[in-house]
Amino acid sequence: MVTKRVGEDEDIYTLVERIKKADREAFMTVTNLYQKKVFLLAFSFFRNKEDALDIVQETFLRLYQRVNLFRKGQNFQNWLLQIAKNLCIDYYRKNYSRSKDYDREKPIEEMNLALQNERDPYFSSDLKGIFSACLKKLATKQRLIFVMKHYNQLEYQEIAQILGISLGTVKSLHFKAVQNMRGLVAPYLGREL
Amino acid sequence: MTDCKKFKKDFVAFLSQELEEDERKLLQSHLDRCPDCKREMAQLEEFMKGADSLKMDIEQIMGEVDWEELPRKITENVFKQESAFPRESWLARLSRFLFQPRLRPIYAGLLLGVLLGSLATYFILRAPHLKEAKSTQIFVPANFIERMELEMARRETLDYLEKSQYLLLDFVQSPSEKSAEFWRSEFASQKARELLDKKRYINPQLDKYQMAKAKMICDQIELLFYELSQISVKLSVEEIEKIQKLIEEKHILLKIDLLKKELGKSEV
Repeated sequence: MVTKRVGEDEDIYTLVERIKKADREAFMTVTNLYQKKVFLLAFSFFRNKEDALDIVQETFLRLYQRVNLFRKGQNFQNWLLQIAKNLCIDYYRKNYSRSKDYDREKPIEEMNLALQNERDPYFSSDLKGIFSACLKKLATKQRLIFVMKHYNQLEYQEIAQILGISLGTVKSLHFKAVQNMRGLVAPYLGREL
Repeated sequence: MTDCKKFKKDFVAFLSQELEEDERKLLQSHLDRCPDCKREMAQLEEFMKGADSLKMDIEQIMGEVDWEELPRKITENVFKQESAFPRESWLARLSRFLFQPRLRPIYAGLLLGVLLGSLATYFILRAPHLKEAKSTQIFVPANFIERMELEMARRETLDYLEKSQYLLLDFVQSPSEKSAEFWRSEFASQKARELLDKKRYINPQLDKYQMAKAKMICDQIELLFYELSQISVKLSVEEIEKIQKLIEEKHILLKIDLLKKELGKSEV
């Protein structure tokens, strides 16, 4: 992900002002600029394209509804990702907490790791499946932090802002998330990572 | 080893390039010295690379999305919804928040509480034991009041007789010259007038309780005082002597004494 934060923030304020006046063009520009970041967060979280696209749609709808609450001086991207994060949590609660649909992928136990390429294990498709399944087993906050750090490539400071927690908490939760992931992945690889 | 434990907490941050420069250098120098930690770090790095395998997955999925079309679709949807549901003002948002369906049980509970509370208050305030006493009526038997009134009349009469007796004694026992002077004085006539007033007050009581004997004597005394107070100013010594004699003849003082004893004996 190429991030061009510098200079962007100055323009974003004028764009936001125009969105406040219901400027369609400005809204489309902002959507264009940030859609991938929102998608990346949502997809990493849900590991599902349709869910991620739903979240993107909802996030921008909510952005439009609440744009009046955005104050100059705030970091727009963090503000937007905060909306996306909240939607992800809500969406997850509504759609996944009760049903077992979430594990509709091939059960992790059935994945055949014996067939994986010994020389290049990380690019086997089953390994991705294992990581994907283990990621979903993490607690919501740990998963969000792991996703934001590794796939959105956000800094701790930004994650702290988006989640509304302290820098130290982000750091320790990230550490816990990695440790838990390693613990979850290890049995399936037959060795410790 | 405690050093290693402390450093291990920073491994993830180290690989994520989130450590401050001095922290990073400190950890690096530890890694150079500690083979255990170095191995641990290598394993962690390998794991992180494994986690990166998902990135390729993400990139592949992202390649499938039409990023040109998506903003147009989103914008269209948002503005379509917007025309159907115009952007909310803060007031609308507040009312939406206050009237959201999931708060309904809370409102129902509150309403029920208020209702029950007011009902309870209503019934407690209506309860008879808290009602204010209507008045401080005292019920006594009818004859009790009668007896009380009789007793009052008796005492009033006794009082009247005693005072009259003193005044008459003053009048009778002193020589006629002095007596005339005495009656001329303001003091005596005032006393007499007071006694006349008192007689007027006890008259109905004497009538009511049929104290005929007492009434008779009291009437005589009254008449005497009436005359005395009426004519005292121009009384001559002879006239006074006549009156003194009259009093003695009629044994008024003796009658008063007898009556007093009689009234004092009977408690009623």
